[in-house]
Amino acid sequence: MKVKTDYYAILGVSRSATAQEVKSAHRALVQSLHPDVVQDDTEVEQFHRVQEAYEILSDPEKRAAYDRQQAEAGFTEEPAISLQVTLSHHSLPCLNEDQALYALLEITPSPNIETRRLPLNLCLVLDRSTSMQGLRLQRVKEATNYIIDYLDDEDTLSLVTFSDRAEVVLPGQCLVDRVRIKAQVSAIRSSGGTEIFQGLRAGLRELERARGSNTVNHLILLTDGQTYGDEDNCLLAADRASRHQVGISTMGIGQDWNDKLLDEIALRSGGTSAYIDSAAKVTSFFRDKIHSLVNVFARELRYTLRLGAGVRLKDSFRVSPYIACLQEREGGFYLGQLNADAPTVVVMEFIIAPRPPGSHRLFHLELVGDVPVLGRQHERIKREIDVRFAPTRELEETVPPRIVSALGKLSIFKMQEKTMDDLERGQVEQASQRLETMATRLLNIGELELAKAALLEAGRLSRTGHLSPEGRKKIRYGTRSLSLLPKEVRGD
Amino acid sequence: MIKCPSCQKRHPANTLFCDECGAYLAAEEDKHTDPLAMGNVDWMEETQQASPGLSSLNADRPLTLKLAVRDSGRIIEFPLTKEISIGRLDAASATFPDVDLTVDGGLEKGVSRRHARITRQGMDLFIEDLGSVNGTVLNNKRLTPYSPHPLKTGDEIQVGRLMLRVSVA
Repeated sequence: MKVKTDYYAILGVSRSATAQEVKSAHRALVQSLHPDVVQDDTEVEQFHRVQEAYEILSDPEKRAAYDRQQAEAGFTEEPAISLQVTLSHHSLPCLNEDQALYALLEITPSPNIETRRLPLNLCLVLDRSTSMQGLRLQRVKEATNYIIDYLDDEDTLSLVTFSDRAEVVLPGQCLVDRVRIKAQVSAIRSSGGTEIFQGLRAGLRELERARGSNTVNHLILLTDGQTYGDEDNCLLAADRASRHQVGISTMGIGQDWNDKLLDEIALRSGGTSAYIDSAAKVTSFFRDKIHSLVNVFARELRYTLRLGAGVRLKDSFRVSPYIACLQEREGGFYLGQLNADAPTVVVMEFIIAPRPPGSHRLFHLELVGDVPVLGRQHERIKREIDVRFAPTRELEETVPPRIVSALGKLSIFKMQEKTMDDLERGQVEQASQRLETMATRLLNIGELELAKAALLEAGRLSRTGHLSPEGRKKIRYGTRSLSLLPKEVRGD
Repeated sequence: MIKCPSCQKRHPANTLFCDECGAYLAAEEDKHTDPLAMGNVDWMEETQQASPGLSSLNADRPLTLKLAVRDSGRIIEFPLTKEISIGRLDAASATFPDVDLTVDGGLEKGVSRRHARITRQGMDLFIEDLGSVNGTVLNNKRLTPYSPHPLKTGDEIQVGRLMLRVSVA
């Protein structure tokens, strides 16, 4: 074996990849590089390198020897992802009853890693039904032109409009002649109904055709209305997109669109779902979305948790970049993508059973993600966290303010979810009271707009038994994006 | 087990927020560890100076403070067993006043998070402005910050633009 060759890089896996992951990576490469399939000389040579790398890395003894020799020669790998774990308490008193404990996970790219920007393969799927006419469509065109200017020469853009049918206004192409492309955008007219599935299907097809080897593939769907009869097809399309590593982000403008459907489409495909409450804001939403897409640092981020004895996980939420409940699926808790400029923050609440003094295992955590800018798949970080139990309550320790603040925002989000549940069960008075309590808590953290909306809706709920469609959307999407940074508060 | 002061739901020890009503549950603990609680020091001196019989009488007689908020009509009652803080609740900066004027429009009416406090020495009450932005006015006279002033039933306190009427029982 040659120490100077980086066998891991040849197979495109991280040094922490498991044997199974090494095997899958090898199989995928061999299928595309087999000499029977390929004639190019350089690719045949690549094939031989892949085989050589696999011979070493698939044999546990040879791999261990290789790792040792690499370490001795100074070829160590910097972890690309940085994980910081903070507990609410370092030590707990020995009590005769269960106790709660919180853990905060902060996930960021490692500080020394240079981030590169990946090429974007983007498709805009825009609603041009009759209701979009006038100011709405005009602002959407402006926002589209903004994107045309913002994207690089190596990005690919396609544009689909839909009403009763879908039209491919721009097949996937690099932005060579921006003037001509903008002219095509300005020619879009509004008319007809809303058939979201038609738009989605055409958009996904364009993305597939324009897909590159290392592109970030994403579809942005913008609509202002309801679709009828094709909701299931939309969800199936979202599932299929997810299997092909295409994310779909949805944006609803105005009050009349189906927020449950758009949320679900985004959730299943790993995209985000946003509420644009005024046409003037379309450009800033587009800009923020594109910015987060090109700044992706890691993908397929997920973690598994092995709990210590007598430790129960009560719940787990992501609180940054936006709040979402984390459900355990096979493969662990999915976090989606990690952006280069915004940390991903997770809060977990544990319930710990009584036990004698000493150090006890709280959990064993394994965080995995792919880092495309470094060509590494299955980058892995392991962390074992213990908590100390002392016979009596030790020095007053304060819970880190970061944790209190994150939990405060989270508690408002949970109340919003409970409010929606109350309404589904027809408990109007309870929902209205919850909204009033939410308003106070929102005021406390300086969220004046959202507090006012909650109070208004509480009143409306009491009087009419319903939320306004606009108020409902404002509250749902507003609480989801409560930022971790406190807003300016008047007074002192 | 902790009981939520707002909705009475029970939670395991160390739970920070009630997931039924969103109330902050660690408030009580926080107040006791506040190093600025100088009210305790005052009372200790008082019991040392007075004669044993009298001081125990004074210390034991329970007093209740009643504050009537003029605009909202809300009446807040508090036993005067320790100092009473007045202001606006803000979990993010760990400020948990005993009398939280947020629901009475405190934010709009210029009430600071740590606005004022009422302390007790024997049977006498004192009000002190804690360096608030918009000040505290007692019976139309503006209080100098950090200087306790005697307080009695019938007095009117204005914190920011919010008016409170005092009665002691």
